[in-house]
Amino acid sequence: MTIVFPSEEWVLTLKEKLNSDEQYQRIAKNWEGDIIYVVEPSGVLEEEIKFYIDLWHGTCRKAIMLKPGEQQEAAFVLRASYDNLARILKGDLDPMQAMLTRKLKVEGSMIYMMRNVPTVLDYVRCCQEITESFLGE
Amino acid sequence: MQSVLTVNLSTKKFDEYQIPPDWKKDYLGGASLAARMLYQDLVPELDPLSPEAPLLFLNGPLSGTSGPAVGRFVVCALSPATGLWGESNCGGFWGPELRKAGYDGILISGKSDEPVLLLVHDDHIELQSASHLWGLDPYATIENVESDLGLGRVRVATIGPAGEARVPMGVIMCDHGRVAGRTGMGAVMGSKNLKAIAVKGSGTVPVSNKDSYDLIRSKANRVLRQDNMTRVLQELGTASGGDYFNYLGSMPKKGFSAGQMEGADLVSGSTMAETILVGVSTCHACVIACGRVVQIENGKKQKGPEYETLVGFGPNLWLNDAAFVTRMNDLCDRYGFDTISISNTISLAFALFENGTITKQDTDGLDLIWGDAEVVEMLVHLAGSRDGFGEYLALGARALGRRFGAEDEAVQVNGLEVPYHDPRGVSGMALVYATSPRGACHNQSDYFLADIGQVEEDLGLNFFDRHAGAEKAANVAKHQDWRTVFNSLVICFFSNVPPQTVVDLINSATDNNFSIADIMESGERGWNLKRAINNRLGLNRTNDKLPKPLLQPLQDGGAAGFVPDIVAMLDAYYTARGWDPENGFPSKEKLISLGMGWVAADLWPEN
Repeated sequence: MTIVFPSEEWVLTLKEKLNSDEQYQRIAKNWEGDIIYVVEPSGVLEEEIKFYIDLWHGTCRKAIMLKPGEQQEAAFVLRASYDNLARILKGDLDPMQAMLTRKLKVEGSMIYMMRNVPTVLDYVRCCQEITESFLGE
Repeated sequence: MQSVLTVNLSTKKFDEYQIPPDWKKDYLGGASLAARMLYQDLVPELDPLSPEAPLLFLNGPLSGTSGPAVGRFVVCALSPATGLWGESNCGGFWGPELRKAGYDGILISGKSDEPVLLLVHDDHIELQSASHLWGLDPYATIENVESDLGLGRVRVATIGPAGEARVPMGVIMCDHGRVAGRTGMGAVMGSKNLKAIAVKGSGTVPVSNKDSYDLIRSKANRVLRQDNMTRVLQELGTASGGDYFNYLGSMPKKGFSAGQMEGADLVSGSTMAETILVGVSTCHACVIACGRVVQIENGKKQKGPEYETLVGFGPNLWLNDAAFVTRMNDLCDRYGFDTISISNTISLAFALFENGTITKQDTDGLDLIWGDAEVVEMLVHLAGSRDGFGEYLALGARALGRRFGAEDEAVQVNGLEVPYHDPRGVSGMALVYATSPRGACHNQSDYFLADIGQVEEDLGLNFFDRHAGAEKAANVAKHQDWRTVFNSLVICFFSNVPPQTVVDLINSATDNNFSIADIMESGERGWNLKRAINNRLGLNRTNDKLPKPLLQPLQDGGAAGFVPDIVAMLDAYYTARGWDPENGFPSKEKLISLGMGWVAADLWPEN
């Protein structure tokens, strides 16, 4: 089965990846915090999609695609258009570049985020490595 | 733009200078326009501390409006630190107040026969005796001036004892500790016996098309308020990148000689936010508020240090105590020292002591052992008093190195001490330091942020690996051009709004119809003009280099083993710039293409 972003399969595969990737587990060993990803409509994506991912000391405790309208709180919210997230996952847009040039919005403690930039970047690497295809491909 | 007030301190005469319209169009304002205005005066025979040397305070077309972080002004002159183009910009409220008083700048010439205060109160211009202020630190000077004038809140730009003594690292300070720190502009002011300039204005800051400007700046501020970088700077200050820079190995340690240090992260913005931070401070109409207010052991709420000072008096000196750095920051402010230059120079002293070049006989009996905070504080006082060893410290790293036959060990370029972004961690800074018009500088291009991702696609910038080499040279040049635009507006680098928004603001404020390409060309023009000024002053390709300590690989940390290939990078950079590969001058063709044929005639005279 091809892993398409964004999809239920994608987020479940990501959970498996995070829980088996030694590099991520090493770099993220001090990370404590859950995240909601808001994929905003753009390009071929017509409806907003949200993922909830609970990351804890180098492991992923929970990773789900939220149902439309489902409410969920998290320590961080990352928000970007589908097109920009697809570019990040394809390696066409660096995640730091996206954060520093208004293409990816971060909500939550900036103190915590700035202390853990390497964790965030390695997390993105894992996302990239599991993504095999995109909507409409 | 409005007129520039001219003040001759020798004759005590005032006048107004109207900036030619085509200069405003070609150079916009700020540092680039200052370079155009001072071009004919900055010649090799000029002594930067002589009465003949001009000193120009200048705003830009956005300064003092309610735009996104546009509270800055720039001070320009021939630098006593480098003998080259001198430029230092400053936040706070002084620049906006000057525009409200009806002037876009003040051009100082001559020398007063006694210390004076220049008062600009709308169209009332006056020189007052400042003999009673001479010797006071900048904070005390500002308090005294406000009290003496009795005009309520006035904005004061002043020098401290370092500037009075014409020390090449002397700063100009205004407001609550905002500083024009680099290239010794305070020394130039001191050489003219000009202690302070007090400004009070009751007018409004002019823009050509107010209705459209208000709409654009309102949207820009909204974008800026929601920007990640704004939130990071609000919460953590300018040291927000400290943790990451430490991880990358771009935060220098032990005088740029060590790659790792336990506890280096204790001087990061995140740690400061969780320990001594009690508030924030802002410049004029700024939604970012990167300024820190801290409380340390003395219980007093005071100005907190920013990134350069935290690293300079922290890991650079093998220390990691933010409270100590806060005290050193205040001490330097009170002497009127540039914290980058003095901390860098002190680290050279430690390095020379460690390798045996100097001994206790040279240091007035002091053992200079890395990590000794007490000795660091004593050295700042020695430099402040210029007693004994302090005389050499006050002259900066290049002079200190020369005095002891170790100029190669000084971490400086063309007389300006390198700030705290190691090019072995972020290679773009290698070119930035080597080619900056004012010596090693991170404010002509903050490429250390481009090297971690802050690259605007709309400008045609690309993202290169932080350890890439010659392939990023053209990108660095383009980034320098963009930041030259910022330094001409004069807009804060932290104003992270889309490039088109910046262009829209310019067009609305100046009644022009520039494109992004037009504005980039203006930046390129300003960069080449400063280069041409320096070429006329004697600078050539041999000056474009990195100091020896930055060409040795670090043994550990995030930059271990890497040294930028500066020769290859420079070759590619010269090609990208259209500069002559032999002497490093802008080529005749490049100058003519930028509408600078008048400069070409000086650099490339016909036989």
